[in-house]
Formats: sequence, structure tokens, C-alpha cells
Amino acid sequence: MAPTLLVAAVVGIGLGVFLQKGRFCFVNAFRDFFAYKDSRVTKGVLAATLLTMIFWGIAYQLGYYQGFWTPRWGLTGLIGGFVFGVGMTYAGGCASGTLYRAGEGYLQFWLTLLFMGVGYVAFTLAFPTLQSAYFAPLTFGEGVSLFAVSPVPAGLLAVGVATLGLLAYATLIGRQASDVDPGERATTASVRPTALLAPVVGLRKFTRGTAAYARGLVRAWRTPLASSKRPWDPRTAALGITAVAVLWFTQVSIVGVTGPEARWTGYLLSQVGVDAGAYEYWGSILFRGEGVGVTVDMAMIAFVIVGAALAALWSGDFSLRVPKRRRLPNAVVGGTLMGAGSRLAPGCNIGNIYSGIAELSVHSFIAAAGIVAGVYVMTHWIYRDVGCAI
Amino acid sequence: MPSIDDVTDAPDELSDERAEQLLEEADLVQDMMGEVCPYPQVEAQKGLQKVDAGELLVQETDHVPCTENVPRAVGDDAEARVWRSGDGLYRIYLRKQ
Repeated sequence: MAPTLLVAAVVGIGLGVFLQKGRFCFVNAFRDFFAYKDSRVTKGVLAATLLTMIFWGIAYQLGYYQGFWTPRWGLTGLIGGFVFGVGMTYAGGCASGTLYRAGEGYLQFWLTLLFMGVGYVAFTLAFPTLQSAYFAPLTFGEGVSLFAVSPVPAGLLAVGVATLGLLAYATLIGRQASDVDPGERATTASVRPTALLAPVVGLRKFTRGTAAYARGLVRAWRTPLASSKRPWDPRTAALGITAVAVLWFTQVSIVGVTGPEARWTGYLLSQVGVDAGAYEYWGSILFRGEGVGVTVDMAMIAFVIVGAALAALWSGDFSLRVPKRRRLPNAVVGGTLMGAGSRLAPGCNIGNIYSGIAELSVHSFIAAAGIVAGVYVMTHWIYRDVGCAI
Repeated sequence: MPSIDDVTDAPDELSDERAEQLLEEADLVQDMMGEVCPYPQVEAQKGLQKVDAGELLVQETDHVPCTENVPRAVGDDAEARVWRSGDGLYRIYLRKQ
């Protein structure tokens, strides 16, 4: 247990530091991309997911891994993901964002965590009914990772999927680049070749951007102390997150947040006299009949808060922030929706978008679509007064 | 001067002195303490609708991501500067264009 706990500490603190320094937020990544076409954080999320996919694929192929998390797939991912996406956009922080902001001293996000707990409890109480009325009719197949069933070696498959992802991204930014340049839109005849050239334009932009990023990183290394106190590019955070996620994958499992949080809720309730193990969801599913106690992934996510607090203290970003009264509904409603949604899916932004896609889990592709749809709808609602572009 | 700023696109920072001076000149000050994204972004856009071109809108915030997200959200509508206290307090200065 001791060495595993050490891995949990290294991975958890590492994740906390990288999330905090890179302001690595999945809500921001999608919301600001929809609202302002701001792709700065989106780039970080993409980079972390695709890089982790490549390294996990290689580790899996070589046999250096502890296991995949592949829930059975169906419409549950779409519905639960949507509820979670709406919740995290309203709350102003995803599952991982809530953790690192709790570490930065936001009482608002401790309250969000508390109400995520309420969501987990509500789900646990309703679980027997949900199983027959929700999960049974909406689940279509056994959970599976494409790494496990594909005839293509996992490492190669990961590189292939990551390349496709990169090309899709390049097409998108290439098209955007030609949209903003009025010169290229002068005649209808010039529009068509521009559309076809979008991936090329995008890839060139990507290469230039990456080269500029690498040069900046090298310069930042010359003044390590000062640079470490400054905010980091989300891509730097992505590199760090990938490194600790590979360590976690080879030693323990994939990275998840809301599963361990739901276990924390059961564990904390058991400490105040509730027989959590007697509830089917906690007893036989989350704790797998092994008794209600602190598991290693529970320790890991607690260390995320510690890591974020350390990074925030070091950067001068830490302070106890008292929420305004008018923001309390965001924590209460957003938190509850995140807690319940993450169980209905199951899985949160980290489990499904980051880890799930990186392990090519069929369930996670559906859940990720649900989450992004939830963010899209909620973003539209939040920006209704200021005439958002979407 | 090499800095991680080269890769983060953060708005220019104001000195303590200049930040205080500008705060006194501000035409509209929004208290965004305790608020999280995206509400300061929405409020900044609403605030800029209230002030005239050339006027200064200042947001006081304790939310780190706002120092980048708010200037990006208002885009070309305002010229943005940021002041960091080094103690979890930030001010975003938006001069309407």
C-alpha cells in the first residue's frame, strides 16, 4: 500500500499543480470555444487527450497497464453526460476544475463539492429504481475499449486516431483562418479551393504555433523560478498531465474523479454512522463488496486539492474567496446536477473526455458527446443577455 | 526579457502605481469578487455597453482565469490591461474602443 500511496501522492499533487498552473478547465475549453471561438484551453485539452492516448496505447500494447474503465454503452452516456455538461457549465467548473479551485481557496467550489455529494447520495438512493427504469432499457452493449478489440496494434491505432484528431483540428482552424481573411473571400471562385486547402492551412498554422510554443518554453526555462510563478500555457499543463497520467495508468488505473468522489461520499457518511455498505450502489458497485474504506484513487484525488493549493500559494493565487449570495444557486444546482449526471452517464469530464477517449472506450465517445451538448445548450442560456454568437 | 508570457497571450500588466491611478479615473467599477467564469465575462460585455468609447471599465476579481478570459471575451471592443496584487486580487482594466 505504501508505494501505491506514494504514486497516488505524486500523481495527485502533479495533477493539482498542472491543472492550477494551466487553468486547465473543460468548461472553459468548450464554453469559450463556442462563445468566442477562443481555442487556447481547447488546445490544451486536445493535446493532453491525444498525447495520453498515444502513451496509453503503447503502454497497453507492451502490457504495462493495470486495467481499463469501460462501462456498458448506450443512451445513458448521452443523457447523463448532458446533465453533467449543463451542471458543470452552470457551476462554472468541471469535476477537475472544482477540485483545483477548492485548493485555490474558493469556498464556492467546496460548496459545489458538497452538493456533488448530494447528487451522489440522491443517485444512490434512487439506484434500485434507476437500474430497472433507466439503465436496463437504455444500455445496449458491453463496455469495450477499441484498443482491446481492434486488429491494429494499440500503439499504432492510438497514433492513427491522434493523427485523425489533429487533421480534424487543423481543418477547423484552417477554415477559421480563411473566414477571417476578407481577401480570400473576394470572389466565389476563390472560396472553393480555400475550403479544400483548409487542412493544409490549418496544419501550417499548427506547426508554426507549436514551434513558437517550443521556443517560448525554452526561453521560460532560462528563468525557472520566475517562470514557475507565472501562469502557464495550457499546453504545458497538458504535457505534465500526460506524464502523471501515464504513471497512474501503468501503476493503478485510468484517471477518474467523480467515481472516487462518490466513494468519498459513502465513506464520509459511514464515518458519521450511516451504513453506506448496505446500499447496493456503494456496497457492491463502488466499493465492490470489499468494504467501505479509503481506496488509493480516493487518496489521489484528495492530493489533487493539495497540489492545487501548493501551486496557488507558490504563484500568489491563493486566498480564501467567499462567494456572493447570488452565486449560491450555481454551486447548489450545478453541483447536484454534476453529481447526479456523473452517475447517470456514468463518468465526468475527466473519466469520459480525457481518460475515456484516451483509452478509446466506446461508452466515453457517447458520454463526451452528451457532455459537450450540455455545455453548448447551457452556454447559450448563460449568454442570452449579451447576444452570444452561437 | 524572456518570460512564459511569450506563450500565454496574457494582457499587459500595470504597475501598482499606475493601477491605483487608473482606478481613480475609472468610469465604471464592477465588483466581481467571489464570482467565477463565465459571469465576469458576461458582466464585462454588459458593462462595456453602458460606457462610451474611450471610457474605462475596471473589474475587481479574485478569479485567476478571468485575467485572461475577460480580455479575450471582450476582444476588440476594449483595450485590456491587468494588475495582479500577488495576493489573489486582480483588476482588469478595459478601455472601450
